[in-house]
Amino acid sequence: MKFRTFAMFVGPSIFLMVLFIAAPLVSVFLQSFQITQPVVEMQEVETCTAGFLTQTCTTETKTVPKLDEFGNIVTTTEWVGLLSYQRVLQLDAVGAAISSGNWGDILNIDFWKALRFTLTFTLITLPFVIGMGLAIAMVVNNATKSMKGPVIFVSLLPFIITPVIGALSIRWLFYGDGIVTVWLEALFDTNLSVAANGWAVEFLMMFYRVWHVAPFAFVIFYAGLQTVNQDTLESAIIDGASRFDRLRYVIVPHLMPLIVFITLIHLMDAYRAFEEVVGFSSQAQRITLQWLTYDLLQPDDAGNRAISRASASAMLTMIGIVIILMPPLRRTWRDHKGG
Amino acid sequence: MLKRLLLAGAASLALSAGAQACAFENETEVSILSAGFEAWKAVTDAMIECGNVNAELDQEFRQKQPAAFAANPSLYTLGGVSNGTITPLLNEGTIRPLDDLIEKYGQNLSPNQLIQIDGHTMAVAMMVNTQHMMYREDIFADLGLDVPGTWDEVLEAAETIKAAGVVEYPLGVTMKSGWNIAQDFNNMFLGYGGTFVNADSTPNVNTEAGLNALDMMKRLTEYADPEYLVSDSTYVQQQFQQGKIAMANLWASRGGAMDDPSESQVVGKVGAAAAPLAMEGGAPATTLWWDGIVVAANISDEEADAAFRVAMEGLDEEMVKANSDAAIWLVSGYEPSKLAQGAIATATAQPAPSSYPSTSQMGLMHTAIGNELPAFFTGDRSAEDTLAAIEEAYTTAAEEAGLLQ
Amino acid sequence: MSTPKALQQPLTLKLASNAFLIFWLLLAVFPLFWILAMSFKSPVDAFSSSALDVVIGPETLSRGNGLSALDIIFGVVVLWVSARLAMRWLMPMAAGDGLIQRVFSWLVACLGFGLLFVAVFFFLLPWVLGPLNDIAGPLGRPVLGLTTEHYNAVWVENEFWRNFSNSLIVTAGVVTISLTVGTLAGYGLARSGSNLAFWILVIALVFRALPPTVLVAGYLPAFVNSAEILRPWLGENAPTLYGQPLAVIAVLASINQPFTIWMLRSFFQNIPTDLDEAARVDGCTHFQAFRWVIMPVMWPGVITTGLFSFLLAYNDFLVTSLLLDQSNQTMVPAIAGYFNRETTTTDQVEAVAAAVSITAPLFLLVMVFQRQIVSGLTAGAVKG
Repeated sequence: MKFRTFAMFVGPSIFLMVLFIAAPLVSVFLQSFQITQPVVEMQEVETCTAGFLTQTCTTETKTVPKLDEFGNIVTTTEWVGLLSYQRVLQLDAVGAAISSGNWGDILNIDFWKALRFTLTFTLITLPFVIGMGLAIAMVVNNATKSMKGPVIFVSLLPFIITPVIGALSIRWLFYGDGIVTVWLEALFDTNLSVAANGWAVEFLMMFYRVWHVAPFAFVIFYAGLQTVNQDTLESAIIDGASRFDRLRYVIVPHLMPLIVFITLIHLMDAYRAFEEVVGFSSQAQRITLQWLTYDLLQPDDAGNRAISRASASAMLTMIGIVIILMPPLRRTWRDHKGG
Repeated sequence: MLKRLLLAGAASLALSAGAQACAFENETEVSILSAGFEAWKAVTDAMIECGNVNAELDQEFRQKQPAAFAANPSLYTLGGVSNGTITPLLNEGTIRPLDDLIEKYGQNLSPNQLIQIDGHTMAVAMMVNTQHMMYREDIFADLGLDVPGTWDEVLEAAETIKAAGVVEYPLGVTMKSGWNIAQDFNNMFLGYGGTFVNADSTPNVNTEAGLNALDMMKRLTEYADPEYLVSDSTYVQQQFQQGKIAMANLWASRGGAMDDPSESQVVGKVGAAAAPLAMEGGAPATTLWWDGIVVAANISDEEADAAFRVAMEGLDEEMVKANSDAAIWLVSGYEPSKLAQGAIATATAQPAPSSYPSTSQMGLMHTAIGNELPAFFTGDRSAEDTLAAIEEAYTTAAEEAGLLQ
Repeated sequence: MSTPKALQQPLTLKLASNAFLIFWLLLAVFPLFWILAMSFKSPVDAFSSSALDVVIGPETLSRGNGLSALDIIFGVVVLWVSARLAMRWLMPMAAGDGLIQRVFSWLVACLGFGLLFVAVFFFLLPWVLGPLNDIAGPLGRPVLGLTTEHYNAVWVENEFWRNFSNSLIVTAGVVTISLTVGTLAGYGLARSGSNLAFWILVIALVFRALPPTVLVAGYLPAFVNSAEILRPWLGENAPTLYGQPLAVIAVLASINQPFTIWMLRSFFQNIPTDLDEAARVDGCTHFQAFRWVIMPVMWPGVITTGLFSFLLAYNDFLVTSLLLDQSNQTMVPAIAGYFNRETTTTDQVEAVAAAVSITAPLFLLVMVFQRQIVSGLTAGAVKG
């Protein structure tokens, strides 16, 4: 295909991606090395605020940003190198924790806490998503033909539901006196407080993720199972392969590209987990990297946002993603060269 | 079902028939961006009756308001703010002084509604919000308890209630990590006489007052649902309504819900008193908040005129009479219900609780506290380390925002 | 096809397999069933800690909102019959020839069916059952607490249908644009073996992995001030993009591009190159080959990819909540609006009712398209 033709096919897509993804990304990259500040001055301000019956007036010195003649805030932008990265990573605190032997202190720093949880979350849910997906695909494939339609339909439900709502629906079953908690309490005759326990919350977040994503893995594996070569299966039987052997030597290798595909998608999605933190209000116990960036970007009541640190945290998240994606990308590169 | 639809239709007709409630016919486009709680719904509904009003009650208003008001022309003519969220608008100069408009249309405003900065009125407050102690009158009467006036008395009462075993948890606390827990700390910290920042913007929470506040909060949590780090006001209110807790220091705007028969199982059993003191002779351990209306700077004077006139229609006596349970109104004609008495007692206490400071420093401090406190309550960090971590997080943020060098 | 003897499964395996299937189905459906049950109860029942109370709803019942045994029987029959009819009539309608006509006729059929269902279920049935309950004695007495007041509050009082139609506009726009643009790009990428194509794909993959919060915060000031920014080029007609569904559609379609082009590229890779090469030999340009040879065979892949785009746009919260104003608000941010600092228990149950409402169209969609999803995926998207 000639370059011109190629460009015409790909052009619109590239245009959209450059405008709405690459351009913001470049600005995020630049902002992570910059700090933009308003020029402030101290001013005596008399403020009168409302009370129920009377006003209270106070005079205090406030820092107020300077305005230029057009009424815009005067700002200065400075290149600060890696300062914002340092503020996110807090390497000196990490060093202090290591030299004093209190390794646990590292996990009190937001970034490392988020990284720890995000990695655990991503890597632990992965085998469960693949295992559950594969298991469901096989039992659905095994089900009576007339049942398959409804069964596939029901199995897909956790995947299509709006993520935050799905998380809330599980949260309500467990938090407070949620009915599942009440059942568990009756079963074990104890008093449970799920949300008070960091590990319980962590487990619940992982459970939700597996519940939500396993149907996606299922439907892909199920599609893959439809194309398993029956001849290979039959010759395996003639060779006396047991049921397990057939699974291991025929079906799984056939599904291998799909397993790689799902691994890739799952790594990317779980690494940027966000809805779980919101849905389960886990920020006291567990936070994820994307939530950390989001939190830095949320303006407080006074309108302050930590844009530089948010950009740095976003860039660090991205570096992590590239590292995680490296092995599958190398495989794709080899395929590309080979094909 | 059909009947209900018809009824709903008839009701909306009746409402639009009430459109004459607005004193004039508004011809200019007026739009307002505000938070989305009940009181704003009441006010904007009253404004809409004037015609040509577009009301946006948006959860993301914190993020949208500064940007939308900075645009030229401003995307909205009116804004709903509180003493916290007015700060960015003031700093950027995107709201206009209202003195001449008040002279023209503000005859019904009382002086304490006017929020003045250096003598110029920049906003018109419509309601105040603060905390009040809600308690189960029946349980307190049965156990012969007095309504606690200080937090130490709260602990004693909680102990008695716990021993009697009448409810699941004696106390409800609004300590969801983030904004809520920080607000609880702020209240307690001010109650112990603390000040958040020094005159040169350096932090000042790692003090006696800070330690006292943390200590008291920790002791309170022993009587609360162990899931307190996810319990916000809604959750505590729900526990109260379900009869699971016996007392809680809640927002005044939460009072009415206790007597709502469709949600509550404790209708008529709940009383309200002033927020407790942290130390004898101090102010109630809480802050005063107001909500009110501002007018954009980047609009024409005619638009501002019409917008302010519409806003005054939204804040009239009629609206307050119809929605007296929705808030502690400052508008004349407000008759407080029984459950509003606690909040009014808080607000009029001597010495009075201070108003929530609307400064950039406070915004940064609030965020730092909200992020660092949970580690103390999960037991990962000592009180001193937590306060030091708050100061460090605040310092980083303040340097980044240019408030500290 | 008769199963070879060796492939037949022993009874224990069959039992275990079915037991696991039932376990999974319960697990999949229980949380959803639960919010459905909650949405029909008074707030006191909905958040009760007793499971029985949530299902039976004594408090709801005591307020005079309940169904009798007769109501339940008739209701279930009508539901079951309409589900059967929907499967029998509606599904084949999506599987005919000629895509545009097919989609259009199918949409009309669905709409008609939905209206018919609402008329029968909500109006005809209560009208018939009212007098029947009075004469049926014990069978006519309410036993199950159930109230539609929250749905009424959401759809009638809070005008949720506005959000619904906004969601439809945004979703339809996103699906159309991302498929149009994505199909072209996917085809180009599949047929070009150049290193450039490879690197585009790799960069797209990295874009796919980016956390969207990073990008979204940058949009707001640009969108709010777009009138000022664009004035030098567009003059006085420069639009304010903030609040415009079109702008949000463009953003979502772009964010969705990486996934779309990867998906579609792998579909096109599985369409033999011989097909379009033959056309090219006959003198077609690449575009003609694409139009006349590839387009007729690409629909399974496009439908599957389209479904994923649909889910992304329909479920989006971050972009829509930030960039749309109230009058153009879609459903998910509207629901989030129920959970604010001043929420009451009633608001929460209304949010649940709204959440159930927004799930209903997804139900319908998957019910209709599930066969296409599976066949589409089988056709090749899954080959990575």
